[in-house]
Amino acid sequence: MSLTTTKRAGSLKTGVGPLHFANKGNSYKSALPLLPFFAFIAYFLVFPLTFIVRDAFLDNDGKFTFENFAECFKGVYGHSFFVSIQLSFISAAIGAVVGALIASAIVKTGSRFRKATAASASVLANTGGVPLAFMFLAGFGTEGLVTRALKFLGWNIYGGTFTLFSSAGIILVYSFFQIPLMVLIFSPALENVRPEWREASDSLGGTRLTYFRRVMVPLLFPAFISTALLLFANSFSAYATARAMTAGTLPLMPLLIGNLVDGNVIANQQHLGQAMAVCMIGVSIIVMSIYVLVLRFSKVKR
Amino acid sequence: MKQKLNLSNRIVLLAGGAFFIFPMLAAFEFSLRTNESKSYGFDNFRWIFEQDGFKSNLSVSFRLALVTAICVLVLMVPTVVYLHLGGARWKRLVEFICLVPLVVPVISFALGVGTAFPIFLQSTVYELSFLYVIVSLPYTYRALDVGLSSIPLLTLVEASRASGASMRQTLMYVIIPTIRTAVNGAIFLAIALSLGEFTLAVLLHWDTFPTWIANVSQGHVLNAIALSVLSLFGAWVVVMIFALAPKSLRSNKIQEATK
Repeated sequence: MSLTTTKRAGSLKTGVGPLHFANKGNSYKSALPLLPFFAFIAYFLVFPLTFIVRDAFLDNDGKFTFENFAECFKGVYGHSFFVSIQLSFISAAIGAVVGALIASAIVKTGSRFRKATAASASVLANTGGVPLAFMFLAGFGTEGLVTRALKFLGWNIYGGTFTLFSSAGIILVYSFFQIPLMVLIFSPALENVRPEWREASDSLGGTRLTYFRRVMVPLLFPAFISTALLLFANSFSAYATARAMTAGTLPLMPLLIGNLVDGNVIANQQHLGQAMAVCMIGVSIIVMSIYVLVLRFSKVKR
Repeated sequence: MKQKLNLSNRIVLLAGGAFFIFPMLAAFEFSLRTNESKSYGFDNFRWIFEQDGFKSNLSVSFRLALVTAICVLVLMVPTVVYLHLGGARWKRLVEFICLVPLVVPVISFALGVGTAFPIFLQSTVYELSFLYVIVSLPYTYRALDVGLSSIPLLTLVEASRASGASMRQTLMYVIIPTIRTAVNGAIFLAIALSLGEFTLAVLLHWDTFPTWIANVSQGHVLNAIALSVLSLFGAWVVVMIFALAPKSLRSNKIQEATK
């Protein structure tokens, strides 16, 4: 699922040989077989996107305005930017660090165990959503087995201000798909680490710490950061789990947009939801551009 | 490359395993509770199958998954194959396009679809299938790209063409069987996504299996938990069979021959 192109892609000599479609002379003609794909993308992806952007700039009478965006940064909507970004940041940081730790332990196990954990991780990372939310309500609710067990061990998690419906609760639940996602994407990078490097470092007199600091960190840092950014984008746009858990009460951007669309909230501006959606895309674009830059930087270094 | 597990690795694996397994066990325990106090039973599971929406919504989700899988197969396989042959100059552009769904939060996308699509499309539940094809693009493209990069595609195509096969025959009887694992992977991802997708379905006001779970849960928490346990466990079993199946079941003779 990692997004880097494989090294072997493109090493195939393309466009040579007796292939009738390998028309190198006319670049537009060579796109002809891709027409179905481009048409599909244009209609089902580009077309809806242009509508969100257009609507975001329209007032209730259909005239051009910036009012929707001004409203976006006020009151609960402005606050939701802060809450959403903060929550995604913490969730990505926890997921990345814990996920990397678990991944580094998993790559040292046998291949069957690795396959089994990869399969389980892909289930948790992809099909989470609503079922995950209910599982957590069951486990960590006031009557849940986990809560009781922790209480038995002397830790009443409800002793403080903790509830499952707060930011802390959501971060805990998100860990359930963030950590597996990290394991899934970060493992291939770890598998490329060769035992010989450790031996080389040892024979040059390096300690475990030197090996970690001088070899592992520089080598894995780009993969680590880029995956962490992916985790950020993932929790930033997560909607199903948060909706099922909090019934839309926490001021998260996706939840507010959902409320606006469902008509649960009456806003002065009809197109406030679209403006919020455009803002979310904006935040995502910033994060993903950093991702692309990190990947490019890592390729230059190799 | 099995290495010796040291103590700290064992601790990490045990702690990680406990973090994931314990809440699941807790949920399972919860789902066995019955309304009478202090007794356990399968009442909550039985209740699920007696609900009106269970069969119909599950079948809607399965039909959506089927249509999505067919769309991915028909649209993406020829496209990615072509990118590896004559259309290499378009590869970067297509790669970029396939990343766009990761950048656009699904909720934003749903909003645009709601206003942009004409009524004839919005009146059929299968509009979701086309959207699932878009949402799964980053993963399906990646799976097919990796698969095609690992075989001598050009040699295979030249051999097949020289033997007098048409391009369609080459695709059907040479390329697709050779990258069966990658095609399976792409289709499998698309199916998993369609079966579990919630945001698009709920915001476009369609009833699918996941939205039905969310609806049923209101006022029936115990049953909702039973349902969640059931659906996660079901997905897990399917993926596990797929992942641990012996190689002979997954690959075929042509793939062996090309190695």
